[in-house]
Amino acid sequence: MAGLSQRLWGVEFQSPVLLASGTCGYGAEYDGLIPLDDLGGIVTKAVSLEPRPGNLPHRVAETPGGMINAIGLQNVGLKRFRDEKLPWLDEHLTKAHVLVNVVGHTVEEFSTVVAGLDDATGFLGYEINVSCPNVKGGTLFGTDAKALSELVRRVRQTTARPVIVKLTPNVPDIAVYARVCEDAGADGLSTINTFPGMLIDVEARRPVIGNVSGGVSGPAILPMGIYLTWRAAQAVEIPVIGIGGIRTAFDALQYVLAGASLVQIGTALFVDPNAAVDVQRGMAAHLESQGVAHLSDLVGAVELPNHA
Amino acid sequence: MSTPCRLPARVLSNQRAGADTYWLEIDAPPIAQAAVPGQFVMIGFGLGRLDAPFLPRPFSVGWRGDDGRIGLLVRRFGTGTHRLAALRPGDEVLLLGPLGRGFRWEQDSPLICIAGGVGLAPFLFMAPEAIRHGATVEILYGERTGDRVFDPQLVEKLTGIQPRLYTEDGSRGQIGRVIDGIERGRRIQLFGCGPTPMLRALERLAREEDLPLQVSVEEHMGCGIGTCQGCVVRSVAGEWIKSCTEGPVFRREELSWRD
Ligand SMILES: Cc1cc2nc3c(=O)[nH]c(=O)nc-3n(C[C@H](O)[C@H](O)[C@H](O)COP(=O)(O)OP(=O)(O)OC[C@H]3O[C@@H](n4cnc5c(N)ncnc54)[C@H](O)[C@@H]3O)c2cc1C
Ligand SMILES: Cc1cc2nc3c(=O)[nH]c(=O)nc-3n(C[C@H](O)[C@H](O)[C@H](O)COP(=O)(O)O)c2cc1C
Ligand code: FES
Repeated sequence: MAGLSQRLWGVEFQSPVLLASGTCGYGAEYDGLIPLDDLGGIVTKAVSLEPRPGNLPHRVAETPGGMINAIGLQNVGLKRFRDEKLPWLDEHLTKAHVLVNVVGHTVEEFSTVVAGLDDATGFLGYEINVSCPNVKGGTLFGTDAKALSELVRRVRQTTARPVIVKLTPNVPDIAVYARVCEDAGADGLSTINTFPGMLIDVEARRPVIGNVSGGVSGPAILPMGIYLTWRAAQAVEIPVIGIGGIRTAFDALQYVLAGASLVQIGTALFVDPNAAVDVQRGMAAHLESQGVAHLSDLVGAVELPNHA
Repeated sequence: MSTPCRLPARVLSNQRAGADTYWLEIDAPPIAQAAVPGQFVMIGFGLGRLDAPFLPRPFSVGWRGDDGRIGLLVRRFGTGTHRLAALRPGDEVLLLGPLGRGFRWEQDSPLICIAGGVGLAPFLFMAPEAIRHGATVEILYGERTGDRVFDPQLVEKLTGIQPRLYTEDGSRGQIGRVIDGIERGRRIQLFGCGPTPMLRALERLAREEDLPLQVSVEEHMGCGIGTCQGCVVRSVAGEWIKSCTEGPVFRREELSWRD
C-alpha cells in the first residue's frame, strides 16, 4: 500500500488512517483483534492531569445513523497514563504513530500534562482537545478565539513535538478557529469532534443519557464533517486530519478530496473492529484502480464548479 | 480471558419460544469453544447498512452445542431486538465474542440461579456445564406474565432440568416474586441475572443471610471490549468500572448498591 503513505511532521505515516480518540482506549484493548501496527496510528483516550471519574450512566445510546455519548472524559490521569499505558504503546507499535489526546480545565493544566509527557517515549505528538461537549467548560477553549490562541501558544512553547488541535464543529465559522490555531503555532488540525445532542425516553419522560446531553457521532455526521474539514483546510496551510462518520473507503476519500491529509475512524469501530483496516485497504484499491500514484495527489483535489 | 473473536456468522434457526421471546441459534464454533457461562457476545450487522441497529447489541451466550452452535435468548424490546427477532436461517450477522468475565462457582454447595425474564439466558448455559462437573443446580425463573415464559420444554432440552417458575400474575407456575422462592438457612451459592430491582432484593437477601452472590449486570454498551467506557457501573470504592471487561458478572462485594 505504498501509495497511501504520507510524510507529515517529519515522519512517515504508512497509511492515512488513524483510530479516533475515545474509541480505541489506550490501544491495548485491540491487541490480537486487529493489526494495530499496520494502521497509520492511533489517538489515545483524553489524558488529563488528574484522573477523572466521568459521567453517570447511561453514557451511550444509538441514534439514527450513529450514536450519542457522554463519557465525561473518564481517564486514568497523567501519571498512570505515563506509567501504565504509554509503555504498552511504545513496545507494541513500531510503525503506527501515537498521538496523545490532551484535555484540561486551564491553560496551566494543558501545559502541565504536555510537560509531564514530553520526555517519555512511545508517542509522536499531541492532539489538544478543546472540543469535548460532555464536560463543563469542555468547549470553552474551542469557542473562544482569544483563549484558544493563548492555549495553543502556551502548548507550543512547552513542546517541540507536533501539536495538533482538535476543533469543535459547534462554532459559526470554523475557518476563524483554524486560522487562530495556525497563527498560534499549531502543526495541524483535527476536524471534527462530536455535535451536541439529546435523546428523550418518551415513556419515562427522562433524558436517555445520564449527563442529559451528549455528543453525536457516526455516519449521521459525515456530511458536516466533510464540509467543516473543507472549510478548515481552505483556511490554513498546516495539515488537517478529517474526522466524523467515516465508515467506508469512499467516506475517507471524500475527506481527503476536501483537504484532509489523514483521517480518523471512531464510531465505525464499534460496529466492526475491522473498519479501519478495511477503509485503508479500500483506499489503496481506489488509488490503484484510478491510476493515482500517491494519496497526496488527491489531498484537497476536489474540483469546484465554475459558478462556485 | 481469551482474546475475543470477530466472526461473521450464519443464523441456523430462530424460533418463537414465548410472547416476544425468541431462541436464536448461530453457527459460531470459535465462540462456542471459548465461551464460559456468563460471558456475552456483541451481535450486529456490520457497516454495510445504516438502518437500526447500527451499533451491535450485547447478549448473553445462552447455551452452546458440541457442534459449535451458540444459542441466544432474545426478547423483543426496541428496534434492535425486533430486527434480531426477525432473523431467518441463513442470514448473516457479525459477532464479537466471547466477551467479559463469566460466573465462577464451587462444587461443594448447591448453585441457586435466580433469573428474572431474559436473565434466564446465562443459566441455560451454566446449568448443564455445572451439572456435568458434578454440581447441584437449581434455576428459579420469574416472569411478569405467563405468556412470556420461555418454553419449558426447550429449557429441559437445553439444560436437562426444569426451572421453578414464578409469575407475578400467577397465570403460570407459582404466584409471586422469584426471590421468595429462595430457601433460607442453608449453605448455597447464589447467582442472579435480571432487572435491577430484582438484583437489589437479591443482594439484600444475600447480605442478610451471609451468602455468596454473583450478579450479571446490564448497561448500555458501545464497544463491548473496554475502549469506550460507555458501560460503567459503580464499584464499592465509588469508581465507575466497565461492565464489559470487569463484568458483566460481579461478586456482590465488588459493587456499590446504594441508589
Ligand atoms: C451483558 C448483557 C447481556 C444481555 N443479555 C441479554 C439476553 O440474553 N437476552 C435479551 O433479550 N437481552 C439481553 N440483554 C439486553 C439487550 O442487550 C437489550 O435488550 C438490547 O440492547 C435492546 O436493544 P433494542 O434496540 O431492542 O432497544 P432500544 O431501547 O431501542 O435500544 C436503544 C439503546 O439502548 C441500549 N439498551 C436498551 N436496553 C438495554 C439493556 N437492557 N441492556 C443493554 N443495552 C440496552 C441499546 O443497546 C441501544 O443502544 C443483555 C444486555 C447486556 C448488557
Ligand atoms: C465513546 C466516544 C468517546 C470519545 N472520546 C473522545 C475523547 O476523549 N477525546 C476526543 O477528542 N474525542 C473523543 N471522541 C470523539 C471522536 O474522537 C470523534 O471525533 C467523533 O466521534 C467523530 O468521529 P466518528 O463519527 O468517526 O466517531 C469520542 C467519541 C466517542 C463515540
Ligand atoms: S462497552 Fe465500551 S467500554 Fe464497555
